[in-house]
Amino acid sequence: MVEDIYTIDVPFRGTYRLQRLRFGQGSPHLVVVGGLHGNELNSVYALNLLAGALRAQAPAGTVDLIPMANAFGIEEGRKLGPFDDQDLNRSFPGDPDGTAMQRVAHALLEASCGDVCVDLHSGSNLVREMPQVRLTAGGTESELALAMGLPLVWRRAERPGDGTQLVECWRAAGCRALRVTGGRGATLDKQVGAQIAVALRRLMGALGMSRPPAPAAVLADVTDEQMRALRCESGGFFVPEVSVGERVTAGHLLGRVVAPVGGATLEEVRAPVDGLVTTSRLYPMVHARELLLRIAVV
Amino acid sequence: MVRRRFEGGEGPKVALVAGIRGDTPEGVRVLYEVTKLLRQQETLQGRVDVYPCANPLASYSGHQRWPFFDVDLNRRFPGRAHGHPPDLVAHQLVQHIADADLVIEVRGAYRAFREICQAHVRAGNERAIELASHANVEVVWARTPDTMAPTTFAAQFDTVMVLEGGAGNRLSDGVSEEMSAGVMNVLAQLGVVDEQAVPVHWAAIHRPRVVTDDEVFRVRAELGGVFLPSVEAGAAVTRSEQLGTVVDPVHARVLQRVEAPVAGVVLALREQPSVHPGSLVARVVADS
Repeated sequence: MVEDIYTIDVPFRGTYRLQRLRFGQGSPHLVVVGGLHGNELNSVYALNLLAGALRAQAPAGTVDLIPMANAFGIEEGRKLGPFDDQDLNRSFPGDPDGTAMQRVAHALLEASCGDVCVDLHSGSNLVREMPQVRLTAGGTESELALAMGLPLVWRRAERPGDGTQLVECWRAAGCRALRVTGGRGATLDKQVGAQIAVALRRLMGALGMSRPPAPAAVLADVTDEQMRALRCESGGFFVPEVSVGERVTAGHLLGRVVAPVGGATLEEVRAPVDGLVTTSRLYPMVHARELLLRIAVV
Repeated sequence: MVRRRFEGGEGPKVALVAGIRGDTPEGVRVLYEVTKLLRQQETLQGRVDVYPCANPLASYSGHQRWPFFDVDLNRRFPGRAHGHPPDLVAHQLVQHIADADLVIEVRGAYRAFREICQAHVRAGNERAIELASHANVEVVWARTPDTMAPTTFAAQFDTVMVLEGGAGNRLSDGVSEEMSAGVMNVLAQLGVVDEQAVPVHWAAIHRPRVVTDDEVFRVRAELGGVFLPSVEAGAAVTRSEQLGTVVDPVHARVLQRVEAPVAGVVLALREQPSVHPGSLVARVVADS
């Protein structure tokens, strides 16, 4: 059943609708939100796959899917928006009397506090991310994260401003909350979408809501100290020699920054440690100090 | 990022910063005027560091956000020593300013608005409130920080004031003169420069009202449409006076009459007319 949780009439372009799909009833209550950022589309696909599975087999408990939180941003292919260029995922906990974006954030948070909540993202338009669960370090969600069987679990220390994001507001409200990301922005990666959909079914299995698919191995379970971000010293044209998911050893050539005109090598990027490539820059033009790769130490 | 340092004998250390967002050219212009005035000073008691433009790439393109990385620099503080360039700049800026006794951030107005000259300070910081009273502004607003505040530039310092005025992303007649006189007057109050350095006579300096959050009323549109103002920023209004209307231009209908919630002065008024339910259209300071 599709229902409008919240609507706003917008000048010139009709009505913004915050839509929810609901399956099953009773507890436990699982809520999955996607598309807070309008350029992140793998979650839309993953939630459509999951909706298909839930239509075929109703869950024991309630599953709510909110696949397109920032529907106008998705229509325009923009991360921000739709109102006043605000970042929806920096607008929580929101305010029912505040700006349009704060009202959407408030309505979304009110409608989405389940027992377990998941916020789905993709990488930015510039990079590909290994499908992964990002956990707030010290939380009680690690068991659930591991049960999802995505290849990477990253336990991250809290950062300034986290309190304005949906996941932290869920946690503040007493929900167990996970953030999942994978693939690249502005791109549909069917394999990543399918991996995330299966991971969500494993999560349902762990919550006793359905029979879980076969478990999958978590390849890396790391903290901030075990994630190495590799940045370029100079700007240029980045040509990667590895891709996401590859294992590398210290000294392995990961890529080169070359002169965009002429192709002379400006910089060689080599693995500082043995590990697993979890992020790779795909848009090749880079500026100095930009992120090229992340390596999880395993 | 450029810093221009003026120093002399013993005295307080002051940092002046503009251009953290690229759509605040008024602040950059104010520090240009202040730099010219400081250059004329033969002696100084203390130190003034001027950071005329903290986000030059954004300022160059006239956009709020740092290009390529597409981030709002004023949401990246205190920054990271090993982050990408915006985080690195935020970190470096905080490190360089850490020992200042007073930090003044000079901005224009928020991009969609026209504002009268005002100083924002943190509620409870009496020293900052007292100094801001000399900044040639019409209102000193002692604000309680909201949830986003910890990541702003101003939140990183103890005694800090933010000067705002004019209109978003452009220059307005007279505003840079008022604000640069205000900055110089604050420096004169601290004894860093001589009173003669202030470009206007002391009697012409505004004596601002100090207000708290309770006295500043936000007025919002409740329907989406186009906001047509009926008054100007700085106008004195009575309770229920019409501040403007929200209209539906496609069907030529008036959707909402926007009224002043209290008698007072219009502190800020929306200039960019597209509004949604909840869009701020005005701020009104209640009469005392």
